[in-house]
Amino acid sequence: MADSSGTTLMDLITADPTPATSSSSSSTSAPPPSATSSTSLSSTLGKPATEKKSKRATLMQIQNDTISAAKAAVRTNIMPQKQKKKPVSYSQLARSIHELAATSDQRSSQRQLVQHVFPKLAVYNSVDPSLAPSLLMLNQQCEDKSVLRYVYYYLARILSDTGSQGLSSGGGIPTPNWDALADIDAVGGVTRADVVPRIIEQLSAEATNADVEFHARRLQSLKALTYAPSTNSDILSRLYEIVFGILEKVGDPSQKKKKGILGGKGGDKESIIRSNLQYASLSALRRLPLDPGNPAFLHYAVLGISSADPVAVRNALEIVSEIAARDPYAVAMALGKQVQPGGALQDVLHLHDVLARVSLARLCCTISRAKALDERPDIRSQFNSVLYQLLLDPSERVCFEAILCVLGKYDSAERTEERASGWYRLTREILKLPDASSKESSKDKSQKIKRPQPLIKLVMRRLESSFRSFSRPVLHAAARVVQEMGKSRAAAFALGIQDVDEGAHVNTFADASDLNDSDESTHPESIRRTSSVSNGTAGRDTIAGMLASLMEVVRTTVACECVYVRAMVIKALIWMQGPFDSFDELESIIASELSDPAWSAGLLNDVLLTLHARFKASPDMAVTLLEIARIFATKVPGKVDADVLQLLWKTCLVGAGPDGKHKALEAVTIVLDLPPPQPGSMLGLTSVDRVSASDPKSALALQRLVQAAVWFLGENANYAASEYAWESATPPGTALMMLDADKMVAAASSRNPTLAGALTRLQRCAFSGSWEIRIIAAQALTTMAIRSGEPFRLQIYEFLHTLAQGGLQSQLSDVHLSNGEDQGASGTGLGVLLSPMIKVLDEMYSAQDDLIKEVRNHDNAKKEWTDDELKKLYETHERLLDLVSLFCYVPRTKYLPLGPISAKLIDIYRTRHNISASTGLSDPAVATGISDLIYESSKTPAAAEPDALDDDLVNAWAANLGDDGLWGNNAPAMNRVNEFLAGAGTDAPEVDEENIISRPSVSYDDMWAKTLLETTELEEDDAKSLGSSSPDSTGSVETSISSHFGGMSYPSLFSSRPNSYGADKASRGSGPSIYEGISSPIREEPPPYSSPGMYRNESFENPLAGTGSRSFESQDDERISSGNPQFGSALYDFTAGGDDELSLTAGEEVEIEYEVDGWFYVKKKRPGRDGKMAGLVPVLYVNQP
Amino acid sequence: MILAVLFANAEGNILIKRFHGVPAEERLHWRSFLVKLGADNLKGVKNEELLVACHKSVYIVYTILGDVSIYVVGKDAYDELALSEVIFTITSAVKDVCGKPPTERRFLDKYGRICLCLDEIVWKGYLENTEKDRIKRLIRLKPPTEF
Repeated sequence: MADSSGTTLMDLITADPTPATSSSSSSTSAPPPSATSSTSLSSTLGKPATEKKSKRATLMQIQNDTISAAKAAVRTNIMPQKQKKKPVSYSQLARSIHELAATSDQRSSQRQLVQHVFPKLAVYNSVDPSLAPSLLMLNQQCEDKSVLRYVYYYLARILSDTGSQGLSSGGGIPTPNWDALADIDAVGGVTRADVVPRIIEQLSAEATNADVEFHARRLQSLKALTYAPSTNSDILSRLYEIVFGILEKVGDPSQKKKKGILGGKGGDKESIIRSNLQYASLSALRRLPLDPGNPAFLHYAVLGISSADPVAVRNALEIVSEIAARDPYAVAMALGKQVQPGGALQDVLHLHDVLARVSLARLCCTISRAKALDERPDIRSQFNSVLYQLLLDPSERVCFEAILCVLGKYDSAERTEERASGWYRLTREILKLPDASSKESSKDKSQKIKRPQPLIKLVMRRLESSFRSFSRPVLHAAARVVQEMGKSRAAAFALGIQDVDEGAHVNTFADASDLNDSDESTHPESIRRTSSVSNGTAGRDTIAGMLASLMEVVRTTVACECVYVRAMVIKALIWMQGPFDSFDELESIIASELSDPAWSAGLLNDVLLTLHARFKASPDMAVTLLEIARIFATKVPGKVDADVLQLLWKTCLVGAGPDGKHKALEAVTIVLDLPPPQPGSMLGLTSVDRVSASDPKSALALQRLVQAAVWFLGENANYAASEYAWESATPPGTALMMLDADKMVAAASSRNPTLAGALTRLQRCAFSGSWEIRIIAAQALTTMAIRSGEPFRLQIYEFLHTLAQGGLQSQLSDVHLSNGEDQGASGTGLGVLLSPMIKVLDEMYSAQDDLIKEVRNHDNAKKEWTDDELKKLYETHERLLDLVSLFCYVPRTKYLPLGPISAKLIDIYRTRHNISASTGLSDPAVATGISDLIYESSKTPAAAEPDALDDDLVNAWAANLGDDGLWGNNAPAMNRVNEFLAGAGTDAPEVDEENIISRPSVSYDDMWAKTLLETTELEEDDAKSLGSSSPDSTGSVETSISSHFGGMSYPSLFSSRPNSYGADKASRGSGPSIYEGISSPIREEPPPYSSPGMYRNESFENPLAGTGSRSFESQDDERISSGNPQFGSALYDFTAGGDDELSLTAGEEVEIEYEVDGWFYVKKKRPGRDGKMAGLVPVLYVNQP
Repeated sequence: MILAVLFANAEGNILIKRFHGVPAEERLHWRSFLVKLGADNLKGVKNEELLVACHKSVYIVYTILGDVSIYVVGKDAYDELALSEVIFTITSAVKDVCGKPPTERRFLDKYGRICLCLDEIVWKGYLENTEKDRIKRLIRLKPPTEF
C-alpha cells in the first residue's frame, strides 16, 4: 500500500492460532532438539542466539533453521497459549511465518497463514526484512492463491519500506527501524539492502514468466515491483524493461479492435489475457516515474487508450495527459484519429470510469489550448469539441472538471490571460453538440435538444442543479467551481476583456446574442465554433440574470450545516462580488456566519487569505474587502491571524487609491471606535459594529488587534490623508497663532478630516486604552506629529504635553472612558515614554523659532547669510533629522524639520559645499530603527517602513506585493499569503487539542478484551474468568510494546523498559511477576515494568501501550500474592478512566499490591466515592515511603 | 494524489492508516486533525453519508460505516468528488468483505482481507480498481478479467 505504515493494535490480542497448526506439524516432526530455545517464545531474551547467528551468516540458512525451530518450538509454544491468552507478539508472528513457510505444502499451514498469521501481521507498521527469505520461499513453493496474495502484499511492503517504520507516532503498533536493529545484530542482521535485490530478482522473474496459467501472478508481481525504491536507477531501468517488454507483446492494436470496449467478457481467452497484462503493465507504468524523453511512454499509453480494460484505459489516459502537459504537439500527433468520431477517445466518453473521463477532459483541455498547435486549429477544435461533450457528463466530477478547463483553471498555476479568456469563452460560446454523437440520448436528458445552446446557460443550469444536491462533497465542489468562475471573471475584468465596467454589466449583456461576433476576431482564441446564435433569448437569459439566479442558489447554500461547505460558499461569494456591487447581503452573511463558533481558526484564515487573493485580482475591491475584514476583526478577533489581517489592511489601503483612502482608513480604525464587549449581551450577534469577545482569549486577541490598528493608524494616517509636513504649505508661523485649542481643532478638521479623525481616535486611545495600547498610541501620535504639517503637529504637541503632565482626563471629559485601570501618578503612566518624544518636538519648534528670528534679523538688516550661519543652520537641520529618524521614517531629502523657509537656505549651503542629500534608508538610525531605543520594541514599527511617503514607491510596492522585502515585520504573513495565492499548501493542519493524540486507551482496551473474549475465551477453560470481577478483561493480556517485541530483545529502541530490569525490580520490590505463576514455567520475563517517567512517553507514542495491565485485575484472585505489602499515599486526586482503575483522593492511604507498566495495583482501606476498594492507579500518583 | 486513507473506530483509535506523500512528521497532525474532525461531525451521521472538509489545497472526504469511520485525504485531481469515488469504492469493498456495515469486531476479524482490498483500491497514491467484483478477484489472486 501507499506507505507501509498501517496498523492497529488489535489483532494482536486475539489469541495466536499458530499452536493448532504447529501442533499438527509437530506431531509429525521430531521432538524438540533444543527445548531451551523453543521456550524463548514468551521470554524476553528473543530468539536463540544460535538462530540469530545463522541468520546473519546466510539468508538461506534461516529457512533450514526455522524448520527445525518450528518443529522444536511447537510443543512449548502451545502451552503458554493454552494457559493464558497472550497477545500475538510480532516475534511470534514472525516465527510462525518461518515455521509455516517450512511446511507450506500442508493445507493446515496454509489455512493458518491466511486466517491468522498474515492478517495479524498486517497490523504492524512495517515488516521485518528478515521475513523476506521465508516469504520468498512461500512464494516459490506454495500453491495456495490466498497465501500467495498475502505474500505479494508483504513483499511489496518490504520493498516500499522507506523510513516509515521506527517509532511512528501515528499510533498503531510501532515497529522499530529494522535496519538499525540489524546493525546491532538484534534481528539476525538482515537489512533491507540484503533482501531487496533478492525480492526484485524473484519478482522480476515472475513478471516475465509467459506461462498463461501464471499470468495472474505476473500481475501481482508487477504490482509489487512498483514499490521498489525508484531512486535506484538500476532497478528502475529494469522495471521499465519488464513493463515495456510486456506492453510490446500485448500492444498490438489490431487484435483488440474487434472486441467490445466495455470489458472483454466473452472475448477469447488470449485477448483477455492480453488485456489483463496490458492493464497490469500500464498500471505499473503509471506508478513509475514519467520519462518524457522516452517515446515508448507515449506510444504504449496511446495504444492503451484502446484497451479493453477500463482501468488500463484510465491509466493510459492519465499518462497521456501528463505527457500532453509537456509536449502537446507530440501527443496530438500520436493520438491522430483517436479523437475523431468513432475513435478511442470518443469511446472513453461512454466508459464507465469517472476518473478516465476526468483525464480525458484534462487531455482535451491541454491540447485545445496548446500554443504549439496554433497551426492546426482543426486538431484543437476536435479536442475542444470532446471537452464540450464532457460538459454534459452525468458525473459531477467530470462535468466540473470540464467547466474548470473551460474557465482556464487546469493546473495550479494562475495565468490571468488564461483565466480571462476562460470567462470570455464561458460567456460567449455557443455549444453545438456534434451530430455524430451516437449515444447522445443516453446523456443528460435536458440536452436532447439539438439546438445550439449558449455555453454559460448550460453551465449555470448544471451548477444550479448541483447546488440542490444533498451530498456535501457535491455542494462543496459546486461552490468551488463558482469560486473559480469568480476568479476568471475577475481576471476578465482586470484585463478589460469585457470592455465594460461593472455598472454597465447588465445592459451590455442584456442579450446574449449580441455578444458573439463583437470582438471575436481580436481575441486570441482560435476555437471559435460559434457564428450563429439562437435569437430570442429572454431577459432572464442574460448573463447577469443567470449569474444572479445562480448566486441566489449559492447563497441559500449557506444554510448547509457543514462549515466547510459554508466556507467555500463564502469564498465563492467573495469572488463573485464585484467591486461596485452592493455587498450588504454578503456582509450580513459573513457577519452571521462568523458568530457561529463552529468556524475553526484555520478556516477563517483561509477566508481572510481569500480576501487577499481577491484584492490582488481586483484592487478596486479594496474598500469592500476592508469592510469585510473589519467583520473578522470585530467578530472573531481571537481566531484570525493578526499578521494576515494587518497585511490586508495595508495592501487594501495602498490599493484603495486616492478616493478610497479615507474610507479604507475608516474601515480599519473602526475597530478603535467600538464599544468594549458587553458581557452577556446577545444583541450584537449579527451586528458588525459590535465586538464579540466573550472569552478571555478573544478579548486578549482583540486587544492585540486594537494595538495593531493603533499602530497602523499612526503609520498610515498621513498617507491616507495625503498630509505630509514636507508638502505642507502652511508656514510654521501660522501655527503659533492658533494656540487656542478649539480653533486649532476646527482648523485641523476643516483642513483634513481624515487626519483629524485619525488624530481624535489616537488621542482617545492614548489615555483610555489599556497600558499597551496607550504606549502605541503615543508612539503613533509622535509619528503623525513628525510627519504632519501644521496645525496637526501643534495639536499633537499640545496633547502629548498634557498627557505627560497628567490630569488630562478632566480636560477631555467627553472622551472620558476609563477602563478601570489606575492611571498612575503621572496621569497616564506614559511620562517616561513621552518625554523624548516631546523633546524632539520641542527642539523642532525652538529651532524653528530661532530660524524665524534669524531670518527676520537678516531681512531687517538686509544681510546675506554668511557661510558660518548657514553651516550652523545646516547642522541643526541634520541633527534634527537624525533625531526625527529615531522615531519614524521620513524622507531625508524632503523632510524639513526647520520648516519650509529653511529649504532655500539649506539648498544654498548644500550647493555651495557639494553635499548631496543623503537618502533616508542608508541612515544608521533608520536602519537600526527606533526599536533599539524604546523599550516596547516588539510593538514598534520598523523604522525603515517606506510607506506612504512617495506615491511612486507605494505604487511600486503595491504592484509587487510579493517582493516587499521591507515589510519585515510581516514576513510570516507574507509567506502565508503568497503560499495561498500560489495555491500551495498541503501541510498538515494544526489541531488545537493535543490530548487527542494521547487519548486514554481504556475504552480501546476494553474493546480488545471483548474481542478476545468472544473469540477464543469461550473455548478455553472458563474457570479462570469465573468469579473474577471483570471477566471482560480476562483475556486482555499485556499489549505493551515491550512484550510484543520482547522475544526479539531489542528493548532499548522502542520499549521503555530499562535494560537493567533485574536490578530495578529488586529495588522496587514490587512483587513477583504474575507470569511466574501462570505463563511460563521458566521464569525469564520480569514484570513488564517501566519507570514512571518513561510511561508518559510511551503512552503518548502508543496509546495502547501498557494498558494491558488492566487484565491483572481479573486475574487478581489467582495472582500469587506478593510478599511484603507496600503502603503509600495518594499524592494527587486521580479519577478512574476505566473499570479497572481506581479513583484516588489526595492524601489517601493505599496498599500497593504490585506494579505493572507504570501502574500500581492498590487497595484502599475504605471504599471510595465509587465504592471500589482496589484498582489500578498511575505510579506517579502514589507516594511510596 | 491520495494522501491518506484512514480507518478509525468510534473512539478515534486508528485501525488502518495509509499515507502517501505525506512527510512523516506531518502524519501525526493529519491523524489528529482527522480524528477531531470525525469526533466533531460524525455523531448521528447515517452510514455512508459523505462529509467533506478541506485544508488549504487538500480535500478530505469522510464517512462512517457501521462502527468504523473512514477518512480519505487527497489533493490535485483527487478533489472532494474524486475522493467520494474513492471512499465509495472503499466502503463497498468493506461491506463486501464484512457482509454488511461492520461492527468493529467484524472489521477486525476481516482485517487482513480489508488490507488486501485497500491494496487493490489505492495503489501508490492513485485510485486503481473500483469494481467490487474485480477487487474480489484480485485479492484472491485471480486475474481482473476471467476467461
